[in-house]
Amino acid sequence: MITGVGVVCALGLSSADFFAALQRGASNIGPIKHLDASSLPVQVAGEVPLLSIDANTLLQRDFAFSTSQQDLLWHAQDRGVFRDRKIGCLLLAAQEAWQMARCGAAEQAASLSIALGLEEAFLEDFAAAMQPDSDGGRIDFLSPRPPAEAGAQVYPQPYGGIRFRSTVDLGARVLAQLFALRGVHAAQASACAGGGLAIAHAAAQIEHGAAEIVMCGGADSMVNALGLAGMARLGAPSPRHTSDACRPFDRRRDGLVIGEGAAVFIVESADRASARGARPLAHIAGWGRSQDGYHATAPRPDGSAAARAMQQALRKAAVSPAQLGYINAHGTGTPLNDVAESEAIRAALGRAGELVPVSSIKGAVGHLMAAAGALELAACLLPFERAILPGTAHHQQRDPACAINVIAETPQAAKVDTVLSNSFGFGGQNVSILLRRADA
Amino acid sequence: MKSALDVAGLPPRAAIIGWALRTPLGSDISALHQSLLRGERAAAPSPIFDTSSYPGSLVAAIVTPPKPSRHRRFLRRLGLLAIESVEDALAHARSRAAFPIIKSERIGLFFGYGGLRAHWDDLMLAMQNQQADADGNPINPSIPLPATWEYGLRHLHPFWMLLHLSNNAHALCAEQLQIQGEGVTYGGGNAGAQALSGAIQALAAGAVDLAVVAAHDTLVEPEVLVELGSKGVLSTANLQTLRAPYDRAAAGFVPGEATAALVLQRPADAATMPLAYLQVTDGADGQSGAPHAHTLARVAARLGDLSDIQIVDGAARAQCELDSAERSLIAELVSNRAQLTASQSALGQLGAATPLVQCITLATQLQQQVLAGVAGLEQPAPGAMTVLQSPTATAAKAALLLSMGSPGLCGAVRLDLP
Repeated sequence: MITGVGVVCALGLSSADFFAALQRGASNIGPIKHLDASSLPVQVAGEVPLLSIDANTLLQRDFAFSTSQQDLLWHAQDRGVFRDRKIGCLLLAAQEAWQMARCGAAEQAASLSIALGLEEAFLEDFAAAMQPDSDGGRIDFLSPRPPAEAGAQVYPQPYGGIRFRSTVDLGARVLAQLFALRGVHAAQASACAGGGLAIAHAAAQIEHGAAEIVMCGGADSMVNALGLAGMARLGAPSPRHTSDACRPFDRRRDGLVIGEGAAVFIVESADRASARGARPLAHIAGWGRSQDGYHATAPRPDGSAAARAMQQALRKAAVSPAQLGYINAHGTGTPLNDVAESEAIRAALGRAGELVPVSSIKGAVGHLMAAAGALELAACLLPFERAILPGTAHHQQRDPACAINVIAETPQAAKVDTVLSNSFGFGGQNVSILLRRADA
Repeated sequence: MKSALDVAGLPPRAAIIGWALRTPLGSDISALHQSLLRGERAAAPSPIFDTSSYPGSLVAAIVTPPKPSRHRRFLRRLGLLAIESVEDALAHARSRAAFPIIKSERIGLFFGYGGLRAHWDDLMLAMQNQQADADGNPINPSIPLPATWEYGLRHLHPFWMLLHLSNNAHALCAEQLQIQGEGVTYGGGNAGAQALSGAIQALAAGAVDLAVVAAHDTLVEPEVLVELGSKGVLSTANLQTLRAPYDRAAAGFVPGEATAALVLQRPADAATMPLAYLQVTDGADGQSGAPHAHTLARVAARLGDLSDIQIVDGAARAQCELDSAERSLIAELVSNRAQLTASQSALGQLGAATPLVQCITLATQLQQQVLAGVAGLEQPAPGAMTVLQSPTATAAKAALLLSMGSPGLCGAVRLDLP
């Protein structure tokens, strides 16, 4: 059972803000404000509406940051402001989820399953990229570099004054420390599928009896110079600097928009939730995981592996395709993904695949990368909370190549009992999660 | 309210049917076994970069470069070696009798990646400090962000982002081997244990019929050495003064690196005699450095009754107080005749790859009925369990394998021979 949810994204700093914005059909893609991106090829994003994320004003709970934690997490010159926006987002979302689920000391036995960030960086690459070569031409640092391979001196001195403070599991570590959680950690590093996989892992832990309660979800922000530039060089973002830059399943779609934020859930066994009187928001009834085994970046065109993840989730939940009420698609707005996902939905559901309502919220909030699956599962609570299916912001022209029932910009009133959320990562890692209404 | 431990029951068991590794002492398992019996240590001045100005100058590095690969544009050295390990482990499994024919969608791939990542803001700062004036003297102007694209970011290679994806080795391995079953990449200092746990659970749940688990990690990187050096956990010794874990004068560990892969099946399905059986648990306690020893003991206790265990491959952090606490707390769980060895005394601390490497080295030693001593041990510190100083014959069929990592992470494996 999901008994708590916390959300921080472009549409607001709480799940209530998020649900209200989705219900209105709002979108908040716009010019990047918290840094000057005017020279970058990517100038719009789904930015969390805060210029800085300040622990002193935003975190109502007394987390009692230790000195070492402050040094780790905060700007040296601006105490209280998180150096890494995704960590600030993660803590805000976790705080909301913890409070909503009315967690207390007994819940500190919780395990953790967190996805945090898909990017990593190494100084020498960055430094090399910043230094034009002797001919003034492009530097291709992906070619074999003799110093790194042959033993020449690359680092004559340790970097004075520079500390490296991001580990791949930093989010889980910070949450464990600040919430005094005693359970097992699982740090998910599965790119854009990480958030969904983190939640599926949590549900599996509970099903297998390895945990009674798990804090799970994801956080990410690539709204920084290197993240924006790296994605731009990869060619994934839309080249347009407009608020409708991401148009999932639209015939005119031309790329994704980078987003940032976090979504965190408290997931616990039904017995435990019932025993302590926690309000169930939804039941994680099924999940499926698969891999394309096809390409580093492109999805398998026939969607067969993604379809298998959806079918596994349906089978586990004992839900037939015709019973499925809504699909929250991965829906990145890239030409290849949306066609492949449409094929996958049709392959997984058969005739029902053309009928079940489908939408993507990435046009409204951007692609949250490692946190995308978590935020989108939070969007899947909207049908249960408010009897509304989210719309697909900026979807105006149907694409015949995406022969599925896409909800356009206007959210759709509907009472459904089951919803499915898809997350597909770079490299072909797929996860689908099926939620059932708590009282169904 | 019952704790998670109370309700967890015993972790499920899996059968190992194939394995392979890349370590600082080589990739041939028989040769590695002999090296461990001879008490060899991989510690040496770094062959990869000059460590003379770092807090610790000794490292245990893999000196053999990866084989030529079409993935070279996308992967660092350890990622390439991890894929080699997976290929070799599958080949090893296939070379043994009656390897099952399993559809690609019933094969799972689980990766553990232990990378420490540099912070974007640190990189920006570093970038600015990298500049030099016309005479080559360092300068530190505040480059306004609008200039950064023209100055350098536009030179980023189109695949730069892919090179830095946390799951890139996993993704390319799945693509190369056409693996289409469940796939999860775990991250962090005990990601190998997490990947093993995830794989075994997937097997137990029937989600896959064959699970390939790989882990890769290196502590032999400049930023990692700086970080570990600042925490005071690295050995600052030279080759002459280096002391082993569990030595009376232990004073820090040697950073190492490794990749390893195991091919797992459900015990009931193992088509041929398994190499070994394993059960895995992992945990954390929020410490910024190594976990408390009692956390390690709590995690090991989740494996159930360990009173029959006579062999322990320790976490080997080479810090006297922590080593002593580990020995005394683990001794309470295992046989009162238990003997302690330390694969990482020879190979260096292996981060996320540790539990997989331990499975291979200890299973080989149990199979050969001879245990390696703690490499370089001169004066065993007093304490619980007998610390092995030299090769020792054994008839034991089971071992407990322990690992620790930062921040506050640990893993425990129970290994049983068939």
